[in-house]
Amino acid sequence: MAKSDDLGRIIAGCKEGDGESFSQLVDIYAGRCYGYFYRLTGSKETSDDLLSELFVKLVEKIGHYRGGSFDGWLFKIASNIFHDYLRDKQRQKRLLDGRKEQLELEKRDGRQGYDERVDKLQMQLAKLDDETRELIMLRFYSQASFKEIAAMRSEPIGTTLSKVHRGLKKLRKLME
Amino acid sequence: MAANSQNGENLKELSGKFLGADEAKQATEDIRRGEELLGGHPAPEPDSQLVADIKAEIGRALVDRRANAFKRIAYKVAAVAAAIIVAAAISVKLSDRGAGETKEVVTASIIPAAVWESDDIAVDDAELGTIVGEIEEIEGDVLALELGENGGNGYEAIEELEVELEEIEGVFWKG
Repeated sequence: MAKSDDLGRIIAGCKEGDGESFSQLVDIYAGRCYGYFYRLTGSKETSDDLLSELFVKLVEKIGHYRGGSFDGWLFKIASNIFHDYLRDKQRQKRLLDGRKEQLELEKRDGRQGYDERVDKLQMQLAKLDDETRELIMLRFYSQASFKEIAAMRSEPIGTTLSKVHRGLKKLRKLME
Repeated sequence: MAANSQNGENLKELSGKFLGADEAKQATEDIRRGEELLGGHPAPEPDSQLVADIKAEIGRALVDRRANAFKRIAYKVAAVAAAIIVAAAISVKLSDRGAGETKEVVTASIIPAAVWESDDIAVDDAELGTIVGEIEEIEGDVLALELGENGGNGYEAIEELEVELEEIEGVFWKG
């Protein structure tokens, strides 16, 4: 992870339209943002699209970044992109079908260990409700504090803390 | 990837604000172990080709952004220049009418404040297109005056021009 001074310099370069600075930003954040999208959609193809959309949007929006946690700001955009994606009903249907398929595969194979298409964590995540799953992923991949996440979601910090706590506890139980 | 270590947040202290001491300790432990579990099951990484494609796409977006910025400046300069020419032409016409009558010269701020201050290139382009259309209409009227195509009633035509300029100056263009 880039030190905050380095990150500040990179962001300043991006604001001036410097391609190299954007390239560095992609190197820093592509993995985490991709993980966030992948864990929410379970699809590499969709995650590819959403990641591209995120960084193109970043070019448009970087001028609006006014300091504070850049990670929190970036993941807020990522979260909005994910919600836009969900709002597309056709895509939403595909997502649900994908999850159903994952659960059927789990029943049929009882497969263990990592698989590029379906891994155990992905299958168990599919059993959490949408909001909890998204909250856990936002917390994990953005590395934002509970205070920042609560602000992003406009909800009391205690509510955010409680939802993440319950969700992670349930996920651990499912993974046992 | 432990969120707690990255953002400097004291989870135990935070949990303590909402829960009793024992529960807060347990919640902190649950969250820590849950996040360890997530860290132990990494999601796939994006393909290097995807990352390269994204960087190329950003490069194209930056070129478009620069081109739009240039176009925007060129539009503004052209519109201001045209506005100055129109104002000058009207002034010359009025002064040619003789010193007997002095009439207030009506001018208009052709570029609305909202367009100068806005960053929304798409909307601005549309507005600037309309402005250019208005200016062309006024230029046509001035030309008609110069050629005497108004049937000799020069003042009437000038008054019409003034009305048009007042409309431009009006609320609609204030953004």
